[in-house]
Order: sequence, then C-alpha cells, then structure tokens
Amino acid sequence: MNVIRLFRSSLPIYVIHLVLALIVLLPLAFALVSSFRPLDEIYKYMSPVTWKTFWPTQFTLEAYRSLFTERGFGQIFLNTFFIGITTVLGGLLLGSMAAFAFVYLEFRGKSALFLLVLVTFMIPFEVISIPLYSLVNKLGWIDSYAGIIVPGVVNGLVIFLFRQFFLELPYSLVESARIDGASWLRVYAGIVMPMCKPVTVSASLLIFIQQWESFMWPLIATRSKQYKVIQVALSDFITEYGTYWNEMFAAAMLSVVIPVMLLIPLQRYYVQGIANTGSKE
Amino acid sequence: MRSEKNIGTILLFLFPALAGLVLFKLYPILSGFVQSLYTTTFITGGRSFVGLQNYISLFTDPVFWNSLKVTLLFNVIINPLQILLAFFLALLLNAKIKRIAWFRSVHFVPVAISVPTACMLWNIMLSPEQGVVNSILAALGLPQQPFLGSSSQALGSIIAIASWKGVGYWALFLLAGLQEVPTSLLEASSLDGASRWKQMIHIVYPMLKRPLTFVVVSVTTANFLLFSPMYILTKGGPENSTDVLMFESFNNAFLYSDLGRSSSIVVTLLLITLTIVAFQFRWLKTSH
Repeated sequence: MNVIRLFRSSLPIYVIHLVLALIVLLPLAFALVSSFRPLDEIYKYMSPVTWKTFWPTQFTLEAYRSLFTERGFGQIFLNTFFIGITTVLGGLLLGSMAAFAFVYLEFRGKSALFLLVLVTFMIPFEVISIPLYSLVNKLGWIDSYAGIIVPGVVNGLVIFLFRQFFLELPYSLVESARIDGASWLRVYAGIVMPMCKPVTVSASLLIFIQQWESFMWPLIATRSKQYKVIQVALSDFITEYGTYWNEMFAAAMLSVVIPVMLLIPLQRYYVQGIANTGSKE
Repeated sequence: MRSEKNIGTILLFLFPALAGLVLFKLYPILSGFVQSLYTTTFITGGRSFVGLQNYISLFTDPVFWNSLKVTLLFNVIINPLQILLAFFLALLLNAKIKRIAWFRSVHFVPVAISVPTACMLWNIMLSPEQGVVNSILAALGLPQQPFLGSSSQALGSIIAIASWKGVGYWALFLLAGLQEVPTSLLEASSLDGASRWKQMIHIVYPMLKRPLTFVVVSVTTANFLLFSPMYILTKGGPENSTDVLMFESFNNAFLYSDLGRSSSIVVTLLLITLTIVAFQFRWLKTSH
C-alpha cells in the first residue's frame, strides 16, 4: 500500500526521509567524528559551522586507547559481555523449558500459572528495584555478578515468545516420539528445541540487549569498579570525567557499536519476535 | 498425553522459571506494597507499621504534588506525540520507493542506543555554549537556546530526546501492521470513491488495531516509569521542572533512605499507570 500517493513523484519522500535520517544519525555521526579528534580540538571548530565541524582534521585513536589503558574499559566490556551472555544462556534454557511445560505437559492450574507469567513481564525493573534491592541484599548478592545476573534471568516475555512458537510446531512430531518411548527431556532437547532457531534468535537478542542497556539495576546492585557495566561507566563520564570529551564520545561509540552490529542484520527477527506477542492470546 | 501424571517432569521443566518469577518479580511488587505501609525507625534500624500514614503525608506535601504535576504534564505531551510521530513515520517507511530498507534501518539504530548513551550524546549536542544544535541555530541566524539549563525548556528537551530514541522503534510495529493491509482492498475502495481519510478510518485503522494497542500501552508504561534522563541530565531540575515521580521515589530510597515513602510513591505511580492503561484498553476495544 502506498499511502504517500499524496505526492506525484517519489522525490519529496526521499527528501523527507533524508532529513529524518540526518536528524536520527546526527548525534551519532558527531560522536563518531569527535571520538577521533584530539582533546584540544573537540570544540575548536564548533562555531561558526564549517565542514571542519563535522570532520576531524587530526585523526587520532588516542581516546579509544586511553579508555582501555586508563579507565578500565577492558574490564567493563568483559563484565557487560559476561553478564549479557550468562543471562541469555540461563534465560533461554529456563524460559524455553517453562514454555515447553505450558504447551506439552498437562497439569492443574496451568492457565492460572500462565496468567502469572503474563503479569510479570509488565513489571519493569525500575518499579521493583527498591524491594528487589532489599531481597538481593539479604541473599548477600549486592556487589557481585549474581546480583546483576540472577534477577534478570527468568523473563516472562521470553517464556511467552517460546510458547507462541511451540504452538505453531506440528504436534504429531512430539506425539510419535512419545509413542516411541522418548522421555520428555529427550523430546525437548532432541526434537522441539532444534526446530526453534528463529525464536531463539529473537529471544537471545531481547535478553542480551536488555542486559546491555540496563542502567538503574546495575547502578544500585553494584558498587565496586570490578563489576562495573558499560551503561554505568557512561553515566560516570557525565558526572566525573566531564573534561575528557573525546573519551566520552569514544565510550558512547563503544556502547552503541555492539547492539547496532547485532540488531541491524537481525532486526527482522527482533521485530517479528515482539510483534508476535500480540497475535495470540 | 492427557494422562501425564509425572510430577517430577513438570517440576523439572517449570519450577526453575516460576521460582525466578515469583522471587524476583512478584515478591518485590508485594513487598513494595507492604513496605509502603511501614516507616523506617532510625534509632533501632527496624521498621514500624504506620498504615496509610506514608500516603497521607505524601498527599499533604507540595513536593509530591509538584512531582505528580510534572509526571502528568510530561505524559500528556509525550505519549500522544510519540504515537502520532510513530504513525506518520510508519506511513513514510511504508512508501514504495527504492532503498526504503535503508531508511528503515536508520530508524532502527536508536533502538540499539541505550537511554544513558542517548542522554549523554544529546546533552553535548544541546549544550548552550559548545553544542552543535546551538551552532546550527547561530548559522541559521536564530537565537541560541539554553535547552536543559532552563526550567521552561528542560522538560521539552527530555521529551525530544526520548522521542528521538523511541519513535523509530514504535514505528516499526505499526509498519508491520501497515504491511498486512491488503492493497487490493484499498484499490477497490478508492475505485468506489472512498476518500483517503475514510480509507484510514475504515480499512487501515481496524487492521492496525493490534499493533496500535501494543504501542499505546507500551509507550504509556515506558514513559510513566521513565526516569534515567532526569537522573542523568537534570537531577530533577532546574527548579524541579523535571522532577517526575519515579525520580522522587529513587531519591527517597537511595538519597534519604526513606523506603516507606519511596514505596508509597511507586505504588501511587503504578495505580495511576494501571488506571490509564485500563482506559486505553477499553477505548481501543470499543471504538469501531
């Protein structure tokens, strides 16, 4: 459907799109360019606006080097990756197993329990962060990897995504395996999960991006440098190292580049995964 | 299969996930509510039951009323704005032109940018002395603006930043809905002389209802609970102009260690959000 047939040619649409694309990309382009400038040149060409405002005259990787040598971004990167990947693995396993039970096993109170799952994915971390802090504190997990990872592992939305996918799979495959005497664990690991690639991709993206971008919870749940994650490190830049603009831009680029690399090629899965959530009740 | 009685299997598959949800989602919600009925006693370090006292003291406090006002003002502007912009963007991204996939990808980029990063970048872009935006304004012969530094522009600036980050994301869901509208139906109706507006109301809107409901509800909950831009950019200022309830709650918990008050703010905020979401659901179900 071409709703934009208000215009005779497609030229005005291109113009609108180009302007919108510029607005969207401007801060990123500016950050990228600035991250390659030496510190004393960051604001040199800011006003009046010339081509030099948007292009580094002296290209340097100093900011990136300094992030890794002085500010411990190696550790911060490792932490964020470790937390993201662990949460993805745990979340995929627990989420898919629960969804499997909801689709293939019969037990009492199934719909009530599933309703409970639905309720939980509407509760954001921000809202429960304060009582969650008390709980995690009692468990002795404040300032540890467990404190950041464990509360985020089980995700109601992931259970829901897997359930929607299982409902679409041909039931006869599972049935014949059961008649052949396969255990449920075998059906899960040997038959159902190998067919689940698309939903596994979208669920992994969802969990990974969620952890990569989480800010408030790691901010509260950790104190020491040892467990710092990228978003918290970025917010430190605003308050603590306000003068190292080039490093700040470089840090922002580093925080953006991983999700962009994951999301742009896989955007179809990501949107489909979430769009599916509304399709069946 | 119906006679599955193996409790062990069911527990193995279900228990770990359910335990996680109960412990880390449901329990904190309930305990937050309970917390809001208590006050922390500093001498003993314990807490004592005060019933609705936290709520009563909230409702008699001008700081709370200001923060409620800011929260409502913020949401009254940002939610319709983001939904409308997302809709128009979805229409634009649905245009049948070459390389449209590139433009779709461009609007997906902010999805990959976290709120803290978005805040940081725009904070510099909007800086009064050295910001690119003011340089561009100057180049165009327009007056420079204080943006986040002024009590009349700070909230608007945060709305703009949050929309820059969010609109492309929401547009993608509406775009997915638009692509399901059958072209033949539109062509047939325009042959019958239906106006573009009529087509919108009678063909496009009903098909868009499912993604639209998702977008409306998600946008509303996300914005009511939005707090990191205020924490990172303005700390609720200038002159409390960006002091939203979620930020107040955070301050009460982690700055003033008043968990009871903090929880009662969250409970109030959740009740407001739920009421509005319930109305949205009803409105989207009944219209047409």
